[in-house]
Amino acid sequence: METRTAQKLLEVRHASKSYGAVRALDDASLELAAGEILGLCGHNGAGKSTLVKILTGQVRPDSGEILMQGEPIEMRNSLQAQSHGLAIVDQELSLAPDLSVEENLFLGNIDLSFLRRPGAIRRRARDLVERIGLDVDPRTPVQRLSIGERQLVEIARLVGRDARVLILDEPTATLSESEIERVFTVARELVREGRSAIFVSHRLDEVLDLCDRVTVLRDGRVVAARSTADIADRQELIKMMIGKELPPPQRSEAVEVAAGSGAVIEALTVPPAVQGFAHEIRGGEIVGLTGQVGSGTSEVLRALAGLEPEARGTLLLDGQPVKLGSPTGALRAGIAFASNDRKAEGLFLEKTVEANLVATRLPALSRLGLVRHRALRETARKLADFVKIDASRLGDTVEHFSGGNQQKVFLGRCLDRGDVKLLILDEPTRGVDVSGRAEIHQLIREAALAGVAVIFASTELDEILELSDVVVTMFGGQIVASLPREQTSAELISADMTMSHGSGKEREAAAPAQEGADR
Amino acid sequence: MSGAATTADPIAVRDNRATAIQVALWGSLAIFAVLILFGAFTTDGFLTTTNVKAILSSVAFVGMIAVGTALIMISGNLFSLAVGSTAAACAMSFLALLPDGIVLAIVATIALGAVLGLIQGLLVGGIGANPIIVTIGAASLIQGVALWASSGATLVPPKGDTSYEWLNGHILTIPVPVYILFGAVILLDLLLRRSRFGRQLKLVGENREAARAAGLPTTWIITGAFVLAGVFTAIAGVELGAFNESGSLLIEGNLTYDAIAAAVVGGVAITGGRGTVWQALGGAILIAVISDILLLRDYSEGVQILVKGVIVFAVVILTRLNRMRLES
Amino acid sequence: MSARLPSFFRYRGTTARPFVILAAFAIAFALLPTYASGEVGSANVFNVFQALSGIGLVALALGLTMIIGEYDLSVSSTYLLGGMLAVKTGGDSPFLGVVVAVAAGLLVGFIQGFLVAKLRMSSMPVTLGGFISLLGLVFLISNSKSVNYSDLSVSIWLNDPVMSIFSARSLIAIAIFLIAAAIFAFTWLGRDVRAVGSDREASRTAGVRVDSIIIGTFMSSAAISCFSGALLSYSLAYATPNRTVAPLVFATTMALLGGVSLSGGRGFPLGIAAGAISLSLLNEGMAVTAAQPYVTYLVTGGLLVVVTIIDAPHLLRWWKTVKARNNIGFRGGSGQLATTKAGDR
Repeated sequence: METRTAQKLLEVRHASKSYGAVRALDDASLELAAGEILGLCGHNGAGKSTLVKILTGQVRPDSGEILMQGEPIEMRNSLQAQSHGLAIVDQELSLAPDLSVEENLFLGNIDLSFLRRPGAIRRRARDLVERIGLDVDPRTPVQRLSIGERQLVEIARLVGRDARVLILDEPTATLSESEIERVFTVARELVREGRSAIFVSHRLDEVLDLCDRVTVLRDGRVVAARSTADIADRQELIKMMIGKELPPPQRSEAVEVAAGSGAVIEALTVPPAVQGFAHEIRGGEIVGLTGQVGSGTSEVLRALAGLEPEARGTLLLDGQPVKLGSPTGALRAGIAFASNDRKAEGLFLEKTVEANLVATRLPALSRLGLVRHRALRETARKLADFVKIDASRLGDTVEHFSGGNQQKVFLGRCLDRGDVKLLILDEPTRGVDVSGRAEIHQLIREAALAGVAVIFASTELDEILELSDVVVTMFGGQIVASLPREQTSAELISADMTMSHGSGKEREAAAPAQEGADR
Repeated sequence: MSGAATTADPIAVRDNRATAIQVALWGSLAIFAVLILFGAFTTDGFLTTTNVKAILSSVAFVGMIAVGTALIMISGNLFSLAVGSTAAACAMSFLALLPDGIVLAIVATIALGAVLGLIQGLLVGGIGANPIIVTIGAASLIQGVALWASSGATLVPPKGDTSYEWLNGHILTIPVPVYILFGAVILLDLLLRRSRFGRQLKLVGENREAARAAGLPTTWIITGAFVLAGVFTAIAGVELGAFNESGSLLIEGNLTYDAIAAAVVGGVAITGGRGTVWQALGGAILIAVISDILLLRDYSEGVQILVKGVIVFAVVILTRLNRMRLES
Repeated sequence: MSARLPSFFRYRGTTARPFVILAAFAIAFALLPTYASGEVGSANVFNVFQALSGIGLVALALGLTMIIGEYDLSVSSTYLLGGMLAVKTGGDSPFLGVVVAVAAGLLVGFIQGFLVAKLRMSSMPVTLGGFISLLGLVFLISNSKSVNYSDLSVSIWLNDPVMSIFSARSLIAIAIFLIAAAIFAFTWLGRDVRAVGSDREASRTAGVRVDSIIIGTFMSSAAISCFSGALLSYSLAYATPNRTVAPLVFATTMALLGGVSLSGGRGFPLGIAAGAISLSLLNEGMAVTAAQPYVTYLVTGGLLVVVTIIDAPHLLRWWKTVKARNNIGFRGGSGQLATTKAGDR
């Protein structure tokens, strides 16, 4: 039963947005009634974040319009969006860490008078905090709260701002069960007051539980917009999200694995994010690590690369122990790491391709402290060749390269058959379009073929399924599942990632036997 | 060979405004150069041997410190406000140790400069302490130690000692410190361009966290830059001690600001990651020439400092504007 | 999380620290006669408050820019400039001199703040240029000489002891501190200033007028510094050009002792006042014990380096690395390896 209330609070009509050659959003439309909670689903890259950014004024669509209560509105920046009553709570919290909860609650709120009356503020803060079910003293500095609690403060702030449309972007990824319940209760209450909410999430059970209607995006297009009452279960929802076109896995060659080669990880703990992670990555094997934000995947990779000073545990590489906590030591041991933030922790944007490619190899390419230029140039050329970047571009600075090419340069630094034993990649194709992605995947496979042990993390299930030999799913800092690719599927991984298993029978039903039948 | 990159590259769009800023920058540079030349050739007493020698001496001292400052700048740590005090303290230590032999005096003084740089470098490189503040504090500490060691007295070379005279000598009418400076510049330039340290220094200077994630030993690289700066500042101190034939904290004078101005004006990026010691040398020459012209034309000390400050200000702003146009 | 501290410290821990430090310095100062030579009396306390109105206000000025996550190197020069301008233009009317000084400060602050906010420049290179230029301006205006202030009655009035430990000058300074404290506590400005320093982009997203705050802070900083310089010069009855960076050493140390952090987002005017008084007590203590000049340099420089180390961003990371390096990975846990066995759940 589709409720068509006379009040269509928010409407997006035929929005499209392209970034260069990438079509992020294609003729997408959305409707939100007053007093309604709308779920927005779709895998990474389906266009959810673009659509959300359009709604919050951070991005302007190439075409299409937004209407609020029937009137088209202009949203040139986030402040304008806020003035229309559109507010978002997302992963990048806009909380000032050094300020207290009550100070953050009213940050940027222009409705309040210039003079601050501490008593009145304290009372309002306490009200909001209680309403949201947060059990903290409003005077606590925000940086002392857990991520979950901070999310709740942000939601409380929106409530205090009288937002008409609350957009919750993956808010529950890092919340505990009780915190999630609280968020839902608040959301339902707010909606009862006549506000509306858009709930963007991977967690399909929650979507079906909380939302009145669901809009599903795939490849930038809206593929479904239905009432949740009409959807039988999450399976149906998953099918809508994934579609039937899973790319066929390309790895088929058996790999010669040297005995005793590879990495052995035991009892890896990175407080507070990772607990007792243990796994083996054989030389020539590709392990795909996946989980939602906050599940600990990044921390595991960074710990292996020596970037987590508090990491504890054992790492053996080809039988030799490697000290955790030193990136220099990791490099010397033959570990190559590509962070998920190539701008801040990866590329030297103002330096040339050549300089970037050889950045980690300088000790090997120098003798007595002096760089052997010819060897350096040869190595750079070899690496550029390997990652399919034209040699003529070796002298260009990487600043203006496309995301795909930047990522290739970044990976080129890590790939060399000679000295790398363990290749660690965090989101290897972030910000890369389809064709670039295929190239990068091929490069990773070639590295594995040469005997390198590879572990990578990704939140995109397509990538995990295409590339991995073994899929490891994490939740809450621990391994939930570790299965060879042939024995898992997108549904299974989704289920494990969100720990929403339901009965064991449901899991078995989701197992690949069914998938094989589909193909 | 590699196939064509299948991912589309954005064509580097030459924004009209970007070109305009480029023109403005080169234009101002050209106008500036013309002004300098004009000032030089129309100022009485500029083109005399005495004057040129004075400029060269000034360049030699400031330039030595400027190349050290350039290294610190390239490492991404802005600048050190302790260089002037270090030079003064080194001048004093040189003179104080002269009675024990000139070789010892020079070696020990250079070691002193290196150690002072080492301490500051470890703090900035190892725990990420703010370089400006650390060097401000270090300046005060160095001054305190120098005052204590000298008991507040101005140091002079031992009577009748001529072992240091060669430092004030001339070869082919050019002061010896100039040759030392050129030697230093050539050496450091080789270091920056051809050594592993030099390359790593530029990477650290551009993006310290990326360098760390890539496994570079950032602590030691930054410390190395500070140590080298300390060494060359010490050499300048030795030269100054010999030149003035007296040593006290007054030697500091405007050295710190002149050295920083020289590096900035010469084109070393204050944001780090880029630059050459030749640029620092060029900047030192420019600063010395400007100061000289102003002096010959009887402009007060205030004008000299003001002009240098304005130039630094202008260069910093224009560089930033240029970056912004290129980024958009 | 660590053991539960009493509620006062849980939320006010960092707020209390400057006062705890001040108490420590005050006690050490009061007990000075017992462990060092020298008498301590109301005259010394008077000097401490005089210093508060001089370098103490500079600490407030500098501290404000530090709270928003920047650093104004030029306070050292605006301090001198304010004094010089006041002496030069205030011959007939001291108020005019003060107005000129403050106006100059506002202008300087506006230019620097504008560059930092709108051109997104880092404040250190910008204020370096300001520092040198304004220093040159001071030398230029004064012709590199000390300039005397003719109206000695102003000087006398400013320095006349009030209640034996204060003076008109120090009371004015205390008033300024109290006004700043009131603004911080009772209006949204203080909170917005800290928000900008704590996370600039988050504040922008939340709707704080970040650019205005930055520009306003730099303007206030330069104005306060100029005002303080004017006050100092009137009280000394002369202004002098001086190349020393001592003002920066003192002001930075005072701010850091006062709870301000170089990374921004923390600090408040009364804390800075506490830090200023603490350091002034230390200086006065050294004066009372007739410490040699070199001791002053060593102590103030050393203290600055120490507080800078404590405030260093990677201090914790370095410490953790040192700890981790000395407990190399332990063979812990059940040693259960997760391997790729089918049905392994």
